[in-house]
Amino acid sequence: MISRSALSRSAQQAARRSGVVPRRGFAAAAAAPTGSYETADINGLKVASKDTQGPTTTLAVVAKAGTRYQPLPGLTYGLEQFAFKTTQRRSALRIARESELLGGQLTASHTREALVIEASFLRDDLPYFAELLAEVVSQTKYTTHEFHEEIERILPYKKAAVNADVAGLALDNAHAVAFHSGLGAALNPSPSAPFNKYVNEEYVASFADVVYSKPNIAVVADGAGAQSLSKWVDQFFKGVPAAARSGQTLKTEATKYFGGEQRTSHASGNSVVIAFPGSDSTGSKPEIEVLATLLGAQPTIKWAPGFSLLSKATAGTPGVSVASANQAYSDAGLLTVQLTGAAASVRKAAEETVKALKNIAAGTVSKEDVAKAIANAKFNLLEKAQTRGSSVLLAGSGLVNNGKVQDLVALTKSLDAVTADKLKTTAKALLDGKATVSSVGDLFVLPYAEELGLRV
Amino acid sequence: MVSLAPYVLKRPWLTKMLTPAANWYASAAGYRQLGLRYDDLLEEENEAVQIALKRLSAKESYERVYRIRRSVQCSYTHKLLPKDQWTKPEEDVPYLRSILAQVEAELAEKDALDSMTVIKKH
Repeated sequence: MISRSALSRSAQQAARRSGVVPRRGFAAAAAAPTGSYETADINGLKVASKDTQGPTTTLAVVAKAGTRYQPLPGLTYGLEQFAFKTTQRRSALRIARESELLGGQLTASHTREALVIEASFLRDDLPYFAELLAEVVSQTKYTTHEFHEEIERILPYKKAAVNADVAGLALDNAHAVAFHSGLGAALNPSPSAPFNKYVNEEYVASFADVVYSKPNIAVVADGAGAQSLSKWVDQFFKGVPAAARSGQTLKTEATKYFGGEQRTSHASGNSVVIAFPGSDSTGSKPEIEVLATLLGAQPTIKWAPGFSLLSKATAGTPGVSVASANQAYSDAGLLTVQLTGAAASVRKAAEETVKALKNIAAGTVSKEDVAKAIANAKFNLLEKAQTRGSSVLLAGSGLVNNGKVQDLVALTKSLDAVTADKLKTTAKALLDGKATVSSVGDLFVLPYAEELGLRV
Repeated sequence: MVSLAPYVLKRPWLTKMLTPAANWYASAAGYRQLGLRYDDLLEEENEAVQIALKRLSAKESYERVYRIRRSVQCSYTHKLLPKDQWTKPEEDVPYLRSILAQVEAELAEKDALDSMTVIKKH
């Protein structure tokens, strides 16, 4: 026998009172699914919801607690691991078993800027999971024994996984070189960094106290009506404090781009990241987004090299994968070109990257390629804003950082306005400025930035 | 284990009456003369206590081992500790029982969840 019912009493009663969730047959017209998030402010807590009328819902708490904001290295990872652990009201085991019974999935993850605590479940179970997320945010106990018995136990495996991911290491190093502290902080606990020196359950608890306050978090739902969501949030998120109980505030510093070079030798793969200052998440420099797709967009047609300059240039070089992106953050961005594969191929691809940039700066790129790149950049942007997992993160980050969800119409318009001339001047400015080059792997073969013709 | 303690503790007059007797019994039991605390006497050979022992802080764990080794030494030599090293009543605090109760509750909850029957109410 389960000694307490899966739903706590208040949630159960509330669910009964709320009546039925609107259902819709195939023939009925959808109630204007706009595809964008509706935002609301509930007693100082920012809420966004998008009703796609589907049978499942994703509910997430997005907190401004990424590695950028951690006062000590590893605290964000610690806080992420403490999600769904024992709270004042129920144990971690009970949380896991109850959500299993309801068919829900609980995940916690972090990026450089945000910590996302997420639950995906059947539409009818919204009250239960709203209550659960509120409980995780405001009533987690941060017990010593869970830290030792569960979090520390899996730490070596996490570190080993981080160490085995050569591409991830290269990208992490590129951020460290480009931004130093803040955005440059390591995304995951690195194998050689002292973890226990900086992370214990007390530090995590005091970080949680600062981070989980109303102005610092946003509740985002994909697949729930604005009305029902605001009702449950109003009811269950009352316990979230309006400011940190300890009176401390989050330490934020404006990001500054430095640039430079870092080389790390590694036995199990080769990866080079060539990076330049990029565009932030409000779309400050749309031409950077276009440049990213023009340089290294993945081919959209199978077995064809695609239109991007790098995939054409590396078509004859086997075993190298090219990925370029604009890593957008709230107040800065990083245009990264990542080359992973066999050492010699990576070296060749790195040379090709610089050559391609020089070509763009010389203005030898065809108009057609630019048009393709703009279309691709637009698609990437809109798809990211539509796909469930990434859209929840985007909406939540927009809310906690700028107080509003990204304006997609304005962003796509600004992408449309990018011209070949604009790309030319941008590429020239990037090549004249300081670059960031991070190489991980066989350093005997991988090139120095100097050899590539980049200024660091 | 059936215990009368909760019944007694709920009634202040009864507690007041029985406390001298309880104190006499605790010192007559003899473990304090060996420098032990009551929680050092708990049976170690079961899962719950093993988990609880691992949850002690490093200092508490060290002191527990020290007390036990010292008492074993006393037992070998058929001697009691000098009187100033006896455990004082105020030192005889339950450092392990609270953790043990928590562990036992966790294990009981796990058992209950492992063998539950789901009753749908809607």
